[in-house]
Amino acid sequence: MAVFLELLVNGVSVGAVYALIALGFVVIFKATEVVNFTHASLLLAGGYVIARLHPLIGFWAALAAGVAAAALVGALVEFLILRRARAGSRGVPAIVTIGVDILLTTELTRQIGTEVLALGDPWGDRVLRLGPITVAETRVVALVVAAALIVAFLLAFRFTGWGVAMRATAEDAETAALMGVRLGRVSLSAWAVAGALAAVAAVFLCVFPTPGLDRGTAAVAMKAFPAAILGGLDSTTGALAGGLIVGVTETLMNGYQSELAFLGRGIGDAAPFLVMIVILLLRPSGLFGTKEPARV
Amino acid sequence: MSEPTPAPGTAPAGTPSPDTRTAGAPALTAFTVPTAPTVPTPATSGRRAFRPLRAALWAAALAVAVAVAVAVPFYLEGFWLQAGLFAMSAAIGAIGITLLTGATGQLSLGHAFFLAVGAYSYVSLSSDAGLPTPLAAVAAVAVAGVSGGLFSPIAGRLRGAYLGIATLGLIFAGQHILFNAEPVTGGFNGRPVPPMELFGLVFADTPELVVLNVPFGSLERLWFLGIVLLAGAAAFAKGVLRGRPGLAMNTIRDHEIAAGVMGVPVARYRAGVFVLSSMYGGLAGVLVALVFQQVVPDYFGVLLSLDYLAMIVIGGLGSVAGAVAGAAFVSLLPQLLTRYSDALPLVAEPGSGGVSPAEAARILYGAAVVAVVLFLPGGLAGLATRLGRVRLKELRWAKSAPAPASRR
Amino acid sequence: MTHRLGEPPAQLTRRLRVLQRNQPVGTVDGDGPVELVVSEVTVRFAGLIALDAVSFTVAPGAVHALIGPNGAGKSTCFNVLSGVYRAASGSVRLGGAELTSLRPHRVAALGVARTFQNIALSPRLTVRDNLMLGRHRLTRAGLVSAGLRLPSARREALRHGARVAEIAEFTGVGDVLSAPVGLLPYGTQKRVELARALCMEPRLLLLDEPVAGMNGGERREMTALIRSVRDSLGISILLVEHDMGMVMRIADAVTVLDFGRRIADGPPEEVQRDPEVIRAYLGDFGDDHSGGEA
Repeated sequence: MAVFLELLVNGVSVGAVYALIALGFVVIFKATEVVNFTHASLLLAGGYVIARLHPLIGFWAALAAGVAAAALVGALVEFLILRRARAGSRGVPAIVTIGVDILLTTELTRQIGTEVLALGDPWGDRVLRLGPITVAETRVVALVVAAALIVAFLLAFRFTGWGVAMRATAEDAETAALMGVRLGRVSLSAWAVAGALAAVAAVFLCVFPTPGLDRGTAAVAMKAFPAAILGGLDSTTGALAGGLIVGVTETLMNGYQSELAFLGRGIGDAAPFLVMIVILLLRPSGLFGTKEPARV
Repeated sequence: MSEPTPAPGTAPAGTPSPDTRTAGAPALTAFTVPTAPTVPTPATSGRRAFRPLRAALWAAALAVAVAVAVAVPFYLEGFWLQAGLFAMSAAIGAIGITLLTGATGQLSLGHAFFLAVGAYSYVSLSSDAGLPTPLAAVAAVAVAGVSGGLFSPIAGRLRGAYLGIATLGLIFAGQHILFNAEPVTGGFNGRPVPPMELFGLVFADTPELVVLNVPFGSLERLWFLGIVLLAGAAAFAKGVLRGRPGLAMNTIRDHEIAAGVMGVPVARYRAGVFVLSSMYGGLAGVLVALVFQQVVPDYFGVLLSLDYLAMIVIGGLGSVAGAVAGAAFVSLLPQLLTRYSDALPLVAEPGSGGVSPAEAARILYGAAVVAVVLFLPGGLAGLATRLGRVRLKELRWAKSAPAPASRR
Repeated sequence: MTHRLGEPPAQLTRRLRVLQRNQPVGTVDGDGPVELVVSEVTVRFAGLIALDAVSFTVAPGAVHALIGPNGAGKSTCFNVLSGVYRAASGSVRLGGAELTSLRPHRVAALGVARTFQNIALSPRLTVRDNLMLGRHRLTRAGLVSAGLRLPSARREALRHGARVAEIAEFTGVGDVLSAPVGLLPYGTQKRVELARALCMEPRLLLLDEPVAGMNGGERREMTALIRSVRDSLGISILLVEHDMGMVMRIADAVTVLDFGRRIADGPPEEVQRDPEVIRAYLGDFGDDHSGGEA
């Protein structure tokens, strides 16, 4: 039982991190209707900056720099590339993001090389004991920070001017523009926010149990895609739910690996996608996504 | 403007209604199936009128292409032959994905999965099940098609990014199976590929074969097989795109609901194109297995699927020629960079601080995708048509139409 | 389908409907013009009632107009008739065949063709290609026969190509068959849409705002064309239109919708004088704000 609880807590914590990434993904989709395949490289960029800078300026300053860097990369991608790509047919911007992703990820993994870069976080491998279960400190911090960010985000979405502008643009961009919402600013800020969230998520993805940022981190970040999709691409609640579902599934599958040996090693990596497909079969627009009514 | 000949078997044109636009404009009669085939006139035959000069030019170009293709193994060394074969396999796969994503609008990140199915099925069917290799190859393509068919109900219900990420799931599932089902797949190290044996000719380095004083090893022999397969695959795809299915597919991409209302069974077409595309992927997998003589799981990952998407974007979505051009670009680029890495400033061996050829190639074609989308919509194929006949036609129409409707 | 005691619950009915959507298509009886009977059709979207027990009948071979202020439910009605939307209750019968829960391509197979409010043509393809799409349900070449370029596929393309050219001549787009549709003027594109619908050899033609966005001369031409379609081919035509002048000139009968409900139905002159209708339009009714009166 203790094992199960431990796995559950870890799963929820990992899930919260995935939810952070998925949230960035959803924010971009809501604001611009663009599916952002560049997300993994934004995460990588943020993490890389933190990893390189923390020996020089300490963890917290490096964290701030990394968040800023990732936000900047996101904003640049939006400003330089996506604005021009929007004019084409549907699906074109998505392919552009694939191209940008190939570019950025290749360059960043090249910089990382074969090293494993530590991110210099202050929690290291300390563990906490909560009753019968043992949990790594970073996991708890991850859960708390992610939850705080998500809540702050949802509140901002609902109650601030920026949030209203974002929601209005998601509903109907043309009308929002006519009502005075600056679409350019909305999409720029969406990408910047997504980058920032990704950078924070990078910290938590790369500290425990993996000792740091390496070439495989981009692949790990990709698990946020099924999280965003199964929750519904245009739903922030969905990003949250999706992240948790993916995190818990992955952790449980990996945790019970020996019992599930017949399914093969590493089932935890494939399991989130299988869960996603099952959910999509029942609800093709994701759990909380809106079904587009036919417009002819 | 001459009166159109009424199809034989129908009544002659009825009395024109007094309200028709111009006096004497033909009234329309009900359509009955003509008993004898209509004599085609340039206005009524197919999509293009027959023009002798153009046909002669095309025939000449084709002859030159065939001559060059046949001559290549006699003059170029193994490195280029392998690169070319690799490009041929990529071209076959690219044609498949352009049918699915380019022509029908179904974004698929899972194409590498079907290549894996084709490659591993070929190995398993010929090594384990003992099938003769040509039969194993055909069966492998069929298995790829069946697996596409199994996934197609899922694909049929999903649109856009939902479909894209769901197909990404295929890759992860595939990788999981390839790494774990060791008896069949050989796990991490993969398995060797039995060489093709067709009509007594073994497509390997032995038994020795000398043609016109040139020793014909496996690559030289495979070259001709590759050309035949690519030509057949391309011709079939062109036929599909030019005919009734191609129209339906394009409409499904552009106006899905209108397509259904026009009588196109949308779900059936989407499933059918998915199966066709996965068969192309399977064939590409078989060819790549034959060329490399070893199949490993690492090759059939996400990056390969992304490579294919890059190929069809650079080449031009929905175009067979574009798929081939894009495939050549993306697959030959790393080979070229590897070959000439000494001459190029930045490119160096991996790990030495420079940019490895594979990485440099990726960066280049990632940038190419962005550049094409921003500045050259329609890709290389679009560029070609813009320089060709279509441009003249457009100019002609643009001049006569006073206020052209906005281009999409 | 009104709910009576002892009727199966809504979910079961819905599931039966889903099965019905894939049933082989019933036949529309006879060979001549067909009658369209819409009875008590209700459509709901997430709590909003878009159509409320709407009923009307299009007489065989008649031109029937469906009018009403914006948001009245006219396009929704069309979408139900084409099979794009599913009606919560009610029935639509074409001749003898029940249309109500069929998928769009099965509705098309029964002989229903339609044009769209926002033109749904493929702009990069030629006019001829766009028209050939209309022949889809009448042709059979599949992936295999097209890919292998079998003689049967080629013969079929020739035969139907000839008919497409005929229809193009009739609708006045015969001389732009090779033009990419996106380059043609808006009025011509609308004509191509109509021609494409005719290429389906329909028994019932649904025209969604056929003269929207056209100037006076184009409207007159289009009106004449629609009338000659009815005269030559004996097709029943249902059209949605805002141009009252055109409606008065061409329609044999008019149905007026407002807020999803039918508020008037009958010959144009009667409907024009109906106080309910005038109120719905808030006095816009009399002036020809669309500027097309001859």
